[in-house]
Amino acid sequence: MALSTHTTPSGFLLPSIHSAPPFFTEQPNQTTHAHLTEQWTRLILTYARHKRLFVLRVEDAEAPGSDWDEILRNERINRRILPSYLSSLMAAMVAKNIAVYEPAKQTRAVLLYWRLPEEWADVLHSWATATGQLNTILTFYEISDPPIPSPLSGIPIPLLRRAITILSRSNRAQIIGVADGEGVRFFVG
Amino acid sequence: MALRRYTASIDGTIPVPALLYDDEELLASQDGVGIYDGCVYFLSLTWCTVFMSPINSLQKAPDYQTGSVHVSTHRLFFVHSQNPTSYSFTMGLLHVIRTNYYAGLFKSSPKVSLFLDADTALPLNTTSVQRTEIFESWECEVCSHRNPPGLSPAAARICALCGVPRSASAGSTASEASSQIQSLFSSIPESSYTSLSSSSSPGPPSPPSINDDSDGMACPACTFLNHPSLRVCEICTTPLSNVDHAGSMRAKSAPSTRPISPIGDIIDPANLLIKLSFRKGGDKPFYNVLRRALRSQAWEGKRIGHNARSGTSSLAVTSPDYGVTPVAMRPSGIDGIMRNVEASAHITQTDLNDALKDLEGLMMKAKDLVHLAGELNEKLTASSTTTTTSTLASPFSTTSSPGTQLSSPFSTTTLVPSTEPEEAKFIRSSLAQLGLQMSNTPVTLDMIKDERRWVEELARELARVLQGSPDDIPGQKSVGIMKERGIVGLDEVWGGWNRARGVALIPPSTFLQVLPHLPAYTTPPIRSRVFKSGLSVLHIPPYTHASFTARMVGYLALSGVMTTSQIAHEENITIGLADEMIAAIEADGVIFRDDERSAIRGGGSGTTSEVRWSRNLFLEYIWDGQL
Repeated sequence: MALSTHTTPSGFLLPSIHSAPPFFTEQPNQTTHAHLTEQWTRLILTYARHKRLFVLRVEDAEAPGSDWDEILRNERINRRILPSYLSSLMAAMVAKNIAVYEPAKQTRAVLLYWRLPEEWADVLHSWATATGQLNTILTFYEISDPPIPSPLSGIPIPLLRRAITILSRSNRAQIIGVADGEGVRFFVG
Repeated sequence: MALRRYTASIDGTIPVPALLYDDEELLASQDGVGIYDGCVYFLSLTWCTVFMSPINSLQKAPDYQTGSVHVSTHRLFFVHSQNPTSYSFTMGLLHVIRTNYYAGLFKSSPKVSLFLDADTALPLNTTSVQRTEIFESWECEVCSHRNPPGLSPAAARICALCGVPRSASAGSTASEASSQIQSLFSSIPESSYTSLSSSSSPGPPSPPSINDDSDGMACPACTFLNHPSLRVCEICTTPLSNVDHAGSMRAKSAPSTRPISPIGDIIDPANLLIKLSFRKGGDKPFYNVLRRALRSQAWEGKRIGHNARSGTSSLAVTSPDYGVTPVAMRPSGIDGIMRNVEASAHITQTDLNDALKDLEGLMMKAKDLVHLAGELNEKLTASSTTTTTSTLASPFSTTSSPGTQLSSPFSTTTLVPSTEPEEAKFIRSSLAQLGLQMSNTPVTLDMIKDERRWVEELARELARVLQGSPDDIPGQKSVGIMKERGIVGLDEVWGGWNRARGVALIPPSTFLQVLPHLPAYTTPPIRSRVFKSGLSVLHIPPYTHASFTARMVGYLALSGVMTTSQIAHEENITIGLADEMIAAIEADGVIFRDDERSAIRGGGSGTTSEVRWSRNLFLEYIWDGQL
């Protein structure tokens, strides 16, 4: 079996294991399964960071055409991950606290923490500092959808709120109610 | 006269099938028949005296000369061809005690004589009360089943549902004989009688018109002429006096045109005879049918079965005074039903016990046979050795070998020693054909007292079954189960072993006790192995987990990926077994699976997918993708 890495059209370098058909089968052997889960988790988070994807759903494995096709399917070896396997992978990731069910109380979609909320908080604060927006009130939308692309572009509101909550605990930010929703003011930390 | 004493008139315009009881069946019909009515003396005379001697006591009954005769299971019918209304009659077959057949001579037609039983002659004075009762529907006192009318007198006496006889109180003191005459008088229930006539059958006069001939009974209140069978007036419901009713019925039964002879009332047993003269042939088949009907005695109905059980002679049925007694002795009601069920259960139990006893006896015999065959075989072996030695010593000695008694005398007289083994071989082969192969006499517990030794002996025997015995007689097919296969399911081994033993089968528990001793008696050692699913097998060393894993890895190194069926084919084992063995390797993590269900195109259709195996590359995998 000659396995080799592969570069996707989006410029992502797939690991060689992605070309092995058994990679897409849930293994009954516990050791093998644990090892495989580790590889899958790493693949998913790396790819999410690469394409700035925040949400993974079970539906992504059910039909082609989603953002995740490049890793959940491998047309070259005629394999795809089954929704049941993806679901168990998501559960493993939630258990390892690198993802969280979003919204809560369901298991069909997860919010991926390819950066942990603490890391996001640091990114957020340094972004505010770098762009000179300390002590001014910003709405959530101004952060997640800024006129100039930033590291925070497209960040989901729940994740943003979690990051701001972490900042406000260390008195580096404060949530303020504004007319059309919520705003935040950053302080020098 | 016999005719008058035993017959009852019927309305011949009604088709005969309509006159039958519900449980009666028409057997044969023949037309062109005349009736003779008279005594037995004529039998020895010639045919001409019939016509020439006016004093002969057997005379042609003048009114019954042309007509058709029908025989049913219960009765004999005569229907007059010209005047069916007046001269038709019916007679119960129960009166007939004997028949005689006369084939005919020249102008004399064939004749059938019916000798009648004097005791069952119909009494001439009956009351109409009883007559009407027997043909009403009645309710059984025990089970409240409403019995429909229309059954024959015998069948109508007992309840159709529970078999309890009709109570004496309901039927008042109806004696059997009177009930029979009632049945003959009006052979069908009144309801069906009227419905028949109202359905405009061609020709027959309706009941009122019959009554026109002065047989009607005048109502004492309104003087309306009622039908004789009515008990109350049709118009004003005044009860009709029944006193002279019987007389009117009798008048009807004996047509007024017939002269009433004084001898009619004297019953001479020898004179009771009716002859049927078959003028248009058909006598023989009719006579056969008649005899069959007489033999079957259908008119006794279900009574026969009941009487047989209660020990009452069936003769009692025809005796005039049997009335109630046999009926009362019969088990009746729920008690009777229960007793019947108990009796049949008892009979079944006895039969079963007998059958099982027979089986046990057969088993004993089988054991003896096996024992005998064993002895025979031993003697044969002994004889073949002794004869060879004895022939070397003295070629002409005919004695001293026990086997000569078993072999044919021919071999002893010819004194050719070389025939001996052939005879022995013949006997051995016939023993083998009988399935009494003595090279594998089953080891049983009673052969060996010590249980530990028994198990060891069993292990030795099982080893022979599995691998074939080394001291096999050449030409004899005894290939062990595992001679060509390295791994066999435990169930197959157990079944095969017991088949080989034939008798004294080994229970599974003993079988499992034997297994640990097996490697000591087998070469190569056969061991048992239990898979995770619970499947147990016996296998030789190449099929241990370790060596199979090694082989599996070798296959995968050669071809990269293999399916379960490919491996099964390679190993020459069943797919199920291969699946179990591979699953054991997978549990070690040496290999991993690729389920075709996760294919994008094809192959992924439900449960028909196949698992492909390859070496586990993940364990030593190091991430080489994007960081």
